[in-house]
Amino acid sequence: MNYKRLSETLVTRCQRFGADAAEVYIQTGRTLSIRILNSEIDTIQESSSSGVGFRVIVDGKLGFSHSNDFNRRSLDETIKRAIAFAKLTTPEEHNVLPSDPGITEVEGLYDPEITEVPMERRIEMAKELEAIALRHPRVSMSSGAGFGEGEGEIFIANSHGISKSFKRSSCSLSVSVVSEKGQQRNTGGESCSRRFFADLLPVDEIAATASRRAYELIDPVMVRTQRASVIFDPRVASSLLGGVIRALNGQTVLQGASFLGDSMGEKFASANLTIHDDGTVAKGLSSRPFDGEGFPTGRNTLVENGVVKSFIYNSSAAKRAGTESTGNASRGGFTSLPGIGTHNVWVEPGSYSRNEIIAATERGLLLTGATGQGIDTVSGNYSAGASGFWIENGNIVHPVMGLTIAGSADAILNGIDMMGNDIDMNRSFAAPTFRVAELQIGGS
Amino acid sequence: MEKFSVRDIPRRKFLEMSAKGGLIMAATPAIMSQLVSCGTGVAPGLDLDRETLSRVIAKALEKGGDYADVYIEGRNSRQIVMQESRFRSGLYGVSQGAGVRVIAGNQTGYAYTDEVTTENLMRAAEVASYVATNGISAGAVALETPDRDTFVTVQRPLEEIADSKRIEVIERANQAALDYDDRIRMAMIDYYDQVRSRVIATSEGVYLRDELPLLFFIVQAMGQEGGARHMARQRISQHSGFEIFDTTPPEEVARKAAREAIDMLKAEDAPAGIMDVVMENGWGGVLVHEAVGHPLEADNIAKGIGAFTGKVGEKVASDVFTMVDDGTIPNYRGTINWDDEGVQARKNVLIDKGVLKGYMTDVLSAKQLDMDRTGNGRRESFRNIPIPRMTNTYIDKGESKPEDILSSTRSGLYVQSLSGGSVNSVTGVFNFTCREAYLIENGRKTVPVRGATLIGSCLEVISNVDAVGDDLDFGPGVCGKGGQSAEVTVGQPTVRIRGINVGGSRG
Repeated sequence: MNYKRLSETLVTRCQRFGADAAEVYIQTGRTLSIRILNSEIDTIQESSSSGVGFRVIVDGKLGFSHSNDFNRRSLDETIKRAIAFAKLTTPEEHNVLPSDPGITEVEGLYDPEITEVPMERRIEMAKELEAIALRHPRVSMSSGAGFGEGEGEIFIANSHGISKSFKRSSCSLSVSVVSEKGQQRNTGGESCSRRFFADLLPVDEIAATASRRAYELIDPVMVRTQRASVIFDPRVASSLLGGVIRALNGQTVLQGASFLGDSMGEKFASANLTIHDDGTVAKGLSSRPFDGEGFPTGRNTLVENGVVKSFIYNSSAAKRAGTESTGNASRGGFTSLPGIGTHNVWVEPGSYSRNEIIAATERGLLLTGATGQGIDTVSGNYSAGASGFWIENGNIVHPVMGLTIAGSADAILNGIDMMGNDIDMNRSFAAPTFRVAELQIGGS
Repeated sequence: MEKFSVRDIPRRKFLEMSAKGGLIMAATPAIMSQLVSCGTGVAPGLDLDRETLSRVIAKALEKGGDYADVYIEGRNSRQIVMQESRFRSGLYGVSQGAGVRVIAGNQTGYAYTDEVTTENLMRAAEVASYVATNGISAGAVALETPDRDTFVTVQRPLEEIADSKRIEVIERANQAALDYDDRIRMAMIDYYDQVRSRVIATSEGVYLRDELPLLFFIVQAMGQEGGARHMARQRISQHSGFEIFDTTPPEEVARKAAREAIDMLKAEDAPAGIMDVVMENGWGGVLVHEAVGHPLEADNIAKGIGAFTGKVGEKVASDVFTMVDDGTIPNYRGTINWDDEGVQARKNVLIDKGVLKGYMTDVLSAKQLDMDRTGNGRRESFRNIPIPRMTNTYIDKGESKPEDILSSTRSGLYVQSLSGGSVNSVTGVFNFTCREAYLIENGRKTVPVRGATLIGSCLEVISNVDAVGDDLDFGPGVCGKGGQSAEVTVGQPTVRIRGINVGGSRG
C-alpha cells in the first residue's frame, strides 16, 4: 500500500467531511521477539501491523479517532467519528497544526540489514548471551535472555501541506540472571539496544555486566538512618533528572502544575548541571527527522549551568504560551494525540573520573539501583528506594540494599557538587556519574 | 529484570512515557489507548465460523505441538478529557485483530494480524507453529461452547448512552472539585469507556464469545496555597454500563479528590527509616498486589525462579493474613467471565491464615507445574500472548477494629492512599509511593507528610502484618507486567505492617 499517498488522500477526506484542519498519522511496523530460557526457546512472537490516527479541528474544536482497519468504508466512518467528537469539545485558539515543511537530516535511523539476519543466528545470539552469563561461578540461574527487533515507518500529512515520512529500525539483546547465597537471591540484568544490528555490543560484554550486577549486591550490610553524600551511577541518573525533564513540559507549566513553572531564566540547580535534548543524534535511539506532528527536530539546551533555558513544546502548547514549537510533540503511537516529550536527553559531562568522585567521598552511597516515581512534578518532592555500595573514606566498603533516599528537588539539584566525565551517548537518557553532596538516607 | 507495577498515572502520561522508551516497538500500542465505545458495529472477524477456526487450529498443530488457540478481538473505545474546565479532546478508537498461539513443551509461538481473514489466520498459524517440531500432527477438533457462568451484567449499555450524558458527568465532577475550596486551582477529568468483544477457540474444542464493557472515570484535583502544591486523584471503574454513576455520583469522586488536595497542602517532610505503617482500607491493597500477588503468578514459579517457588503448604505469612484473587466479583474492574484462554474465572484463596495454598496459573504454567487452571491467563490485546495475571486481589477481612489498630500503634506512618509501586518478583523486593500519608503519634493520626517511598521484601512484609481490620474495601487500578497492561482491582481492610523502610527527607 502507498501509505504516503493514502495519508494525503485521507487529509482531503477529512476536509470533505467537515474538518477545517486535519492531520493524518499512519504508522506501520513489524516486530520480532525471541525469548530464551535455559538454552531453549521460551517464546517467539512475530507481528506486523499498522494503524491510522485522525486529528481534526472543526470551528476551533479538537477531535481525534484511530483505527487499524484500512477498509475504505471503515476509514470514512472513523473520520466522521473524529469530527462528531470534535463538536463536544471546547474551541481553543491554540488548537493548531504545524506548517513547517522542513525535515531535519538525521543519519542512521534505519538499518536494512536487520531483516537479513537469519532466524537461527538471532536465536543463537540470545542462547549464547544466556550461556555466557550463566557461566560465572556466582550465578546460579537464568531468568531469560532475549533478542528483539523492530522496524517501521511513520507518515504524517496535514492540511497545511505537510507530508513527511521516515523509516526506522532497532534491535536489542537482553539477559537476566540470578545469584544466590543461602536465603539471599538477587537478579542482575543488562540490555543493549541499537538502531543497527552491527552496532550491538559483543554478547560477552553484555553477559559480564548482567552477571556482575546479579552477584555484586550479595551480602549487603544495613546502614543507619543518616545524611550523607549520594553518587548517582549513570544508569540511575534518570531517576532524579527525569523529574526535571517532566517539570519542563510546557503543557504542565501552563497548567501551573510544574515545580519549575516560575523558573524560566532562573537558577534552580547547581552550576554543574547542563541538560540538552537532541532529536538529531546520528543513530540515536530517540532521534527522528521530525516530531510526532511533523515539526522538524533540533537540538535544544534545556538547562544551562543550573538555569532553565527552555521549556519544551508541541505546536498547541507553544501557541498557547505565545512561543514557537520546540519540536517536542511526542506520540504514543497512532492511537493517541500528540503529547510533549524529549528525544535524546544528555547531561553535559564534567571533568571528574568516576574513581575520583568515589575517592573524594568521605562517607556516602554509590547509588546503582533506584526505584519509585522520581521527583514529583507538581511538588518537587523526591523519594526513592535505593541500593548500591557504601563508601567510607573514599573507598567502597560493602554493598547496601533496602535503603531509601529523599529530599526536595531544590536541595538535591543545588547539591550536585561533582560531575563526572564518563558518559555513554548510546543511551537515550545519557548522563555521567555525578554526586549530590548530601541527601537524607533511610536505613535502620 | 522482570518488573511488575501498578501505577495510577493518567493514560496520556502513560503513553508519553512508553513512547519515551524510544524503542521501535511501535506496533504495540498500549491497551490503555484503545479506549472506549461501541456503535460502529462489531469487527467482522468475530463472525468467522467455527469450521474455519477449527481449520486454523489444525494448521497451527500441523507440525506438532501440544496446544493451540485462536483469539479474535474487537475493541471500540471512547475517551473525553477535561482540563482547566475546558473539554480538551475527544478520542474515538476502533481496534480489531486476531492472534494464533502454539504451545509445544515449554515453548510458545505466537503471531497476530490486524486484518482478520482466513488467509491471514492461516499464515499466523504457520508462523506460530515455528516452535512445534515433534512432527506429531493433531487432527481437527470440533468446537463447542461449554457451560459457563458470567459475572458482568449491564443495566445502561454504553452504546445507548448519548455523548451529552458523558459530557454532563464530566462537567458535574469538574464543578464539584472547583466548588470544594478556593484553593483547588485546577481539575482534570478523564472519562473512558470501551467495549471489548472476544472470540476464543482452542485445540481442546472450546469456543467462547462474549462482550465486556468497561468504564473508567478519573478525577485529579490540584490544590495550591503559596508554594505548596498537591495533585490528588480519585478513580472509579467497573465492567458495567453507565449505571456506575447511579451508585457513585461524579460529584462524590470529585469531592474525594479535592479533599485530599486540600488536606495535603499542609504536608510536612516525611520521616526517614524503618517504622510501623498502618494502611487504610481500599486501594492500599496495591501493596499486596505487588509484594505478594505478582510473585504468586505461576510463570516465574514454573521457571523455578519466583520468590515463592516450592513453598505451597508452607507458612509464609502471619496467622491473620489471608489473601484471595477472585475474578468473579460481580462487575468489578478485575472481573472476567472467563480468562483470555477460555478458562472459567473463579475465587482462588492464595494464602489462608498464613499458609500458601497455590499460585495463579495460565494454561502453560498449569501444565508445567501440573496444577489446576485458575482462570488467570490474561492478555492486553490480540497483540500479546496470555500470561498469568491477577483479577480482583485482596487481603481478606480480619477481626480488628480499624480504630483499635491505629490507637494501638504508638508511632509510625498512617498511609491513606498510595500512588502505585512495583516489585521484582524474583527477589520479592518492592517499592511504593505514598500519595496521602500522616504521622502516627501516640496512637493518633496527626500531620500530613509528603509523598514518601515505602520499600521492603515480600516475604518479610507478610510475616510482619500483625493486625487486620474488618473493613475490607477495594480500589481500581492499572497493572503492568511484561509490557502488557491489565485492568485490576485491589483491596484490603485496614492493616498494620511492622517495620517498613520509609523514604522521608527528615532524619
